Amino acid sequence: MKENNEQLSALVDNEIVDYEVFDMQLLDELITNQQQQKQFSRYHLIGDVMRGDVSDQFLNIDISQQVMAKINKQTPSAQVSELDTAVNKTGTKEGANIVSFAKRFSQYAIAASVAGVVVLTSLVTSQPGVENGSQGLEVLNTVPFGGAVSPVSLQATHMQSKQVIKERNERLDALLKDHQLQLQIQP
Amino acid sequence: MKLKLLFTRLLTVFLVAASSAIFAAEVSEEVKVSEKTVEKEEALTAIEYLQLMQKSYKDLNYEILYLNSLENQVEPKQLIHGVVDDQEIAYFRFLNGAMRESLQYAGKISYFEQGTQAYTLESTLNRSVFSNIANFDYVKGQDSYEYIILGKGRIAGKQAIAIRMLSKDEYRYSYIIWLDVDSYLPLRLDTLNKSNLILDQVMVVSLLISEKVNPWLEKLSKQQLPQLLNLPRASQQEASQWKVNWLPTGFNVIRNDQHKLVMHENEPVSYIMLNDGIVSVSVYISAKKIALDEKQKIIQRGATVLYTYQTGDIEINIVGEIPIVTAKRLVESIAKVE
Repeated sequence: MKENNEQLSALVDNEIVDYEVFDMQLLDELITNQQQQKQFSRYHLIGDVMRGDVSDQFLNIDISQQVMAKINKQTPSAQVSELDTAVNKTGTKEGANIVSFAKRFSQYAIAASVAGVVVLTSLVTSQPGVENGSQGLEVLNTVPFGGAVSPVSLQATHMQSKQVIKERNERLDALLKDHQLQLQIQP
Repeated sequence: MKLKLLFTRLLTVFLVAASSAIFAAEVSEEVKVSEKTVEKEEALTAIEYLQLMQKSYKDLNYEILYLNSLENQVEPKQLIHGVVDDQEIAYFRFLNGAMRESLQYAGKISYFEQGTQAYTLESTLNRSVFSNIANFDYVKGQDSYEYIILGKGRIAGKQAIAIRMLSKDEYRYSYIIWLDVDSYLPLRLDTLNKSNLILDQVMVVSLLISEKVNPWLEKLSKQQLPQLLNLPRASQQEASQWKVNWLPTGFNVIRNDQHKLVMHENEPVSYIMLNDGIVSVSVYISAKKIALDEKQKIIQRGATVLYTYQTGDIEINIVGEIPIVTAKRLVESIAKVE
């Protein structure tokens, strides 16, 4: 086996000088033996890496998927089951993909247009909006610029605790960011 | 304008001289044709201006400095655009605060930000500042907008003409687009609501057009890009179990899937994206996590609205640059797919 590997390595590196000596059996084995095939491709990969031919992407994805698969095995996603009304089960592997994507995702792209929205949200209410006209709607409707009125009065609804409001803001923030993310990855 | 007239006159004289050698009858015809083109150039219609703007925005080499105003905040930004090897290249950056840049070239867009790892996405759509009006199909858009020439003015030291895109109903915002009369490049874009309040404004303060592409862009086009991220498309194969039964004129459903809110506990949501060529609207349908005191809630900033509606144990959120009435009507029309 070891000897075979050596020969394989030589084959990959084009180092076989004397083809007479080179065991034709090895090639036959390569065609049939899966283990050998893997070894063969691994040698090629090593060669590629050393020559710098491999794109980072190829390597990274390979690793991250393996890692994420392991992580997912350990923590079966619990939140999926509680939501069968709105959303179907989403495969764990896909989730892994998204997580790695989100980690890369820079704040700037999403923050650019929505930053600060959430700081202002929920806590702020005003009189029923002029535009929507209906009663009892909370509207935050500030004049964009030019220094005109900003009807921003602080009137947190009595029923909600600070904690709830905070959680809610975080979720709205996530929605806005996701909106930006979806815009960005729009085909 | 005088120069232009002079030029056309010269051209006519030339044509007359050239063709009189051959046929006298043809001469008069040629003159008529050139007179017609003069008339046409003097009275472009609004839609012709807009279409010329689209072409210029794509084809020219230019650099603009502009201000983006939103609720008392003014953000200065820069865009350098050029054409390298018949392909558009656009470099964008924020001028104040942390370094935030992007580069779009050859079907890819890369984002760079101070302190985070840069990344690249595949993207064929132009993403730069005026891209929504530069990509819009104005002929089709006549179903939902009227285009009216408002008048002339001066922006960024250039002669400008203002064109209003007036929404035909209350379900979308209206816009005023200012164009440079010489190059047709956009100089200012106002987003207006029904009562003509400016919700969002982009205003160019400096415009430089050059014959040749900016050497910096040429250099950038040869630069190696950061790692290309593959999009989490896998999770989007399954359509959401919801549908929107009413759409404002011109809007289409362009995405319908289920994914997770990666920024928030990986919460699963059903997702529908609507688009009318100018704005994109996201519809989220999810389980109700935190009950609101009231059934609905509206948050608005500039042109962006976030409308939340709760019914039963379902929560619907709508995000996008649309008036509140539109969001409300959309919510009312959402139904579960049987």
